[in-house]
Amino acid sequence: MKKENNFPDVIFIGQPNCGKSTLFNAIAGLKADTSNFPGTSVEHTHSKVNVEGKILNIIDLPGTYSLNPSDPTEKVALTHLFLEKPDLVINVIDASILGRSLELTLELIELRYPVVVALNMIDLADKKGVEIDIKKLEMLLGIPVVPTIASHGRGIKELLDVALKSLGKGLTVSPIKWSKDVEEKIIELESQLPEDFPVVANTRFTAITMIETNKLFFEKILKEINPSLKTVLDKVRHDLESMHSAPAYEVISAERHHLALKLFEESSTVKRGKRISLEERIDDVVMHPFFGYLILLAVFFAFFFIIFEIGNPLEELLLKPLSSLRHFLALNLGTGLFFYLTDGLLQGIGGGLAIVLPYFVPLLFLMSFLEDVGYLARAGFLMDTFMHRIGLHGKSVSPFILGFGCNVPAIIHTRILDSRRDRIITSLLIPFIPCSARTTIILALVAFYLGPLWALGFYVFNFLLVAVLGRIITLFFKTPSPGLILEIPSLKFPSFKNMLKKTLFQLRSFIKIAWPILIAGSIVLGFLQFLNFDRYINLILSPLVVKGLGLPQELGVTLVFGFLRKELSLVMMLQALGVGYKDLMTVISKEQLIVFTVFISFFIPCLSTVVLLWKEMGRKVAMISVALNTGVAIVLSFITRLVLRG
Amino acid sequence: MKDGDRLGKISLSQAPPDTPLRIVDVFGFHGVRRRLLALGFHKGDIIELDLRGIFHGPILVKNLTADTSVALGRGIARKIMVEIIEERE
Repeated sequence: MKKENNFPDVIFIGQPNCGKSTLFNAIAGLKADTSNFPGTSVEHTHSKVNVEGKILNIIDLPGTYSLNPSDPTEKVALTHLFLEKPDLVINVIDASILGRSLELTLELIELRYPVVVALNMIDLADKKGVEIDIKKLEMLLGIPVVPTIASHGRGIKELLDVALKSLGKGLTVSPIKWSKDVEEKIIELESQLPEDFPVVANTRFTAITMIETNKLFFEKILKEINPSLKTVLDKVRHDLESMHSAPAYEVISAERHHLALKLFEESSTVKRGKRISLEERIDDVVMHPFFGYLILLAVFFAFFFIIFEIGNPLEELLLKPLSSLRHFLALNLGTGLFFYLTDGLLQGIGGGLAIVLPYFVPLLFLMSFLEDVGYLARAGFLMDTFMHRIGLHGKSVSPFILGFGCNVPAIIHTRILDSRRDRIITSLLIPFIPCSARTTIILALVAFYLGPLWALGFYVFNFLLVAVLGRIITLFFKTPSPGLILEIPSLKFPSFKNMLKKTLFQLRSFIKIAWPILIAGSIVLGFLQFLNFDRYINLILSPLVVKGLGLPQELGVTLVFGFLRKELSLVMMLQALGVGYKDLMTVISKEQLIVFTVFISFFIPCLSTVVLLWKEMGRKVAMISVALNTGVAIVLSFITRLVLRG
Repeated sequence: MKDGDRLGKISLSQAPPDTPLRIVDVFGFHGVRRRLLALGFHKGDIIELDLRGIFHGPILVKNLTADTSVALGRGIARKIMVEIIEERE
């Protein structure tokens, strides 16, 4: 297989939520997005690291429960593993659920690639009363096992030491044998594989995978090119099925399951007894049919108000020097091109600094707190009931919640949904979720000028809208949703360092992508104003802006920028109207501000969202999304205008 | 395996909470079955129904064998057949 360079490939693989990305980050620096929500890394991350003078090409794969996955995101993991033979596989496992985690380890051992186990979250296992005899486990598996606590950076040096030693060394021990009858059937198929058969990893693994797979096209091709092998495969499956009265893939899976449990029992002692763990008691309350929802509401309100209480004074504090600076510029630079450009630059930098950051940073931090603690999955459980009302299920909660951060990763994240139906509905609804940038603007403008209750009301209205739209969209789909299967990870004490890292990680994408666009947009607007060109754009859009929405004509030009990123329209509103932050309410009425916010919030999804929708779901879905958003924005803002006018 | 209903064989959606249950059968499409297997839910495993969501919401199931928790929609819970494990066993 062709490789980019000669650096050894080290693949990180593990079941969802085993702390793999945290471990990867600890080694690679700030690269993968981690969380306490199953299946957060949906795309793999590459990174080069220097370990004691040796450069390794490390690859973080999305979490996968098994090598024969049913989940679309998990398939990404595997193409990588099967296309190129890695020099080392680091299997990260959650020590607190060793029994289940070992099922994937057993599969990896079948590949016969060099494997090292990182026995992660060993502290959590300890808390649960599970004591693991690492030497014994190493002996039973026949591969090195290194205990780690990724969130505290513990065991990482040892892991890397062992990794370096194991590079490129194939497994010497033979695979652990299964039940005699199953083993015989595997050998029966294995021995019939022709010389030129496209073997993956080794003949045994290939035979097992053939029995397990459920790919219709594979069966068809096999029947065409090698009918006698297909007959053997069918017979082997049939024999397994009649011996165990279960589908063949279940027989294989059960073999691994029992073996994994046996290994777990032999290597660990559990001191638990009947004591209910603290976690279960917390879960009984947090997921309680009544208190759970009270807590969910409380968390939501707290989330909202904490961000506002931190952001509001900061915004005021930062806006003051900015408006004095603008005054100073206006007095000293005259009215030439230089003034317009400098003013644009200042508005762009100032808008990001004073309007976006004071709310955005606390929002990201709180969001990562909720994720890391494990609350989001629990919110998914609680919300499932309501999601059913709108024709979806609780698993869609996870992309939705990510949508509050940014719509773009949320749409990528819809890959975790098992059916295309759910993916389309969820992707169409996501652009209606107020992303962090829009939330920031709602807080910075609506809450700042009109009071926090208006902003909260707007938010609640937004939720209702998503529910109503969801109900309507699902009417177009006949098949029902397949239903929720969502792992609830254990509650964790989040590490401050981890949350900070994640906040910075997401902040970096704002600073690198959105802020430059904002600054450039503001300068362009300054230039257009200097040329008086903004008037033409305003004139073209005036039927919509003035007649339809009853807004000042000057706001038309901001809509063009709003297509790049919605929040730009709102931040640039001040510049377009030519007023300072303090004087906004003198040129625009309360009603107009609300109408404008409604329009901007729901109007065309931002450019990156449209591009991604097109890429992920196809042109049709992207177009429907644009039409749906624009239609809803026009209708709603018009209604808002009528209602507010009374 | 007998097809007839054995005494105590019920669907998980009707099972009593906080009682050890043994999975005896999983119906449904291969996709759902495989997904459950991947999450560590196998025939013979001992599970416990921890919580029930309101308004026919999901249920929270704890797998005592693998020590994991999974939220399952009611539709899926209906496809999992379990038997109650007697205290004396």
